[in-house]
Amino acid sequence: MSQSVAITSRRAEVSPEARDAIERLMMEYVHAIDNNELERWPQLFTEKCLYQIIPRAEHEQGRRIGILFCDNRGMLEDRVSSMREVNVFQPHVYRHVIGPTEILEHKDGAYAAQTNYIVVRTMHEGEMQVFSAGRYVDEIVIESGTARFRKRVVVPDSWRFDTLVVIPL
Amino acid sequence: MSQAVNTRPPQELVSWPEPGYTRVPLNVFSDAGLYAWEQDLIFRGPTWSYLGLEIEIPATGDYVTTQVGDTPVIVVRKPDGSINALVNKCVHKGSILCYESKGNRSRAHNFTCPYHNWIYDFDGNLTSVAFEKGIQGKGGMPPDFDKSRHRLIRLRVETIRGLIFGTFSERTPPLREYLGPVMVQHMERTLYGTPKILGRYSQLLPNTNWKLYVENSRDNYHPSLLHAFFSTFKLNRLSAEGGTRQDEKSWHHITFTKRHTDKGDQAYDSGMIRAMKQDYGLRDPSLIDQWMEYPDQITNSIQSIFPGFVLQQILNSLGTRQVITRGVNDCELVWTLLGFEEDTEEQTCVRVKQSNLVGPAGFVSMEDGAIGGFVQKGIRGDLDNVAVIEMGGHDVGSQPTRATETSVRGFWKVYRELMDV
Repeated sequence: MSQSVAITSRRAEVSPEARDAIERLMMEYVHAIDNNELERWPQLFTEKCLYQIIPRAEHEQGRRIGILFCDNRGMLEDRVSSMREVNVFQPHVYRHVIGPTEILEHKDGAYAAQTNYIVVRTMHEGEMQVFSAGRYVDEIVIESGTARFRKRVVVPDSWRFDTLVVIPL
Repeated sequence: MSQAVNTRPPQELVSWPEPGYTRVPLNVFSDAGLYAWEQDLIFRGPTWSYLGLEIEIPATGDYVTTQVGDTPVIVVRKPDGSINALVNKCVHKGSILCYESKGNRSRAHNFTCPYHNWIYDFDGNLTSVAFEKGIQGKGGMPPDFDKSRHRLIRLRVETIRGLIFGTFSERTPPLREYLGPVMVQHMERTLYGTPKILGRYSQLLPNTNWKLYVENSRDNYHPSLLHAFFSTFKLNRLSAEGGTRQDEKSWHHITFTKRHTDKGDQAYDSGMIRAMKQDYGLRDPSLIDQWMEYPDQITNSIQSIFPGFVLQQILNSLGTRQVITRGVNDCELVWTLLGFEEDTEEQTCVRVKQSNLVGPAGFVSMEDGAIGGFVQKGIRGDLDNVAVIEMGGHDVGSQPTRATETSVRGFWKVYRELMDV
């Protein structure tokens, strides 16, 4: 597994502090989801934000929706509470493995970045599968040293989802 | 019959314990022989299967590939504007001709097999065989080889409100007759504008025989009991006005409700219904705000057309669902979410937000993805047992209520007729 070190491309001027903050954000994101601390997940986004999951072929066509759409932190919190209290599903967990983050540019007050990911889903009875693989297309803002997602678009390579997606990717 | 070769007849594979449709032998969900017969008698039988949307193939030569049951099909737009559906299988050795999910053949109006370059026109006629006359005086097809005797299998195609349907069988009545006036009226009512695709994705349903999903789509009884979102937010409870409509033969089904007529019921307040959560609220309740899109005040309607098509209206979230068989144990559901070209940007935003209700991540729909697997898991040791379907009585037919399984019984009525079991 390669280290998830934020890598800058030639187009971006990024301070070491910003790189560190972005790296921390990437790690906190997957750890919050994978280690059953989903309540921390919405805090990693700005109040008005965008979180979507759109399959690759659809994303390339510029489609408006995929399987999930949130445009504020309240909707993210609703995803968490619905999972905890409402929806019916066989219990399972995720394990994310993410690649190095490539910071592409700094524009409109945010860092544009992309990061590869793979998620393994493990069911309560023990079956494991590669559940999703793709990339994160992000816009990250940094305030007082803390990085947050203004936008995170999850772009799975497959347009197909196995059974259901109740835990965010 | 092409799929059920060397398979015992369906009457020997399943035994209905009694006449009527209140008991369903559970091995129908697990028997591989019955699955092969279903491919022949249902998917290649006198039924119309959904193939896609006209807007997916707008220009001459545009095509998409899909499946009817297990059979791969190409759906192509011809120069005269009509649509053909052809089995995606070369007559030579059976290779698929189109290996992409969509594309265009506008330069030359034909399909060329990647294997040996046999070429077919858009009607499925074999127009060219590479090296038919040999090369340098040697080889080639025998003199009696007649291209006109080999052609792609072609489905009959009809459309309604931009939905494309195909059938293999000459016995199938015309589409509008197959659907019947009740179903036709509802499709025309629901798809009142020029459709545009907002999103498209697929949901694999492992451990879900295709019939478990289709049954679920015709089950009035479960929505407010399985889908806590429907109950807790009073979007779709049996205490609201609604009902079940069928065509005359009970092949197809519509469930509908009017959210704003919900007067409540002791059953939902009793605390006995798991899905009715008294203490749950949304941080962003705008998710379930809607505009009254239809003059009939119906806020939720699910239309299920035999064998495997659903037209959904959940608040302002509109879409189609196509059931694809993937063996006896699994199936796949292709979702296409729709809006209309005539929508305002505000209306599109509402549809975008409500897309959270449906699909594999749908607050409502996700449980339908899991529940078939729950059934298949539960019945594994008792395949000689039966399901008991008596809610709403023993009969089929439209009913002015949704406390009924009349359309589940309707599904098994069609099944028994087509499979002759």
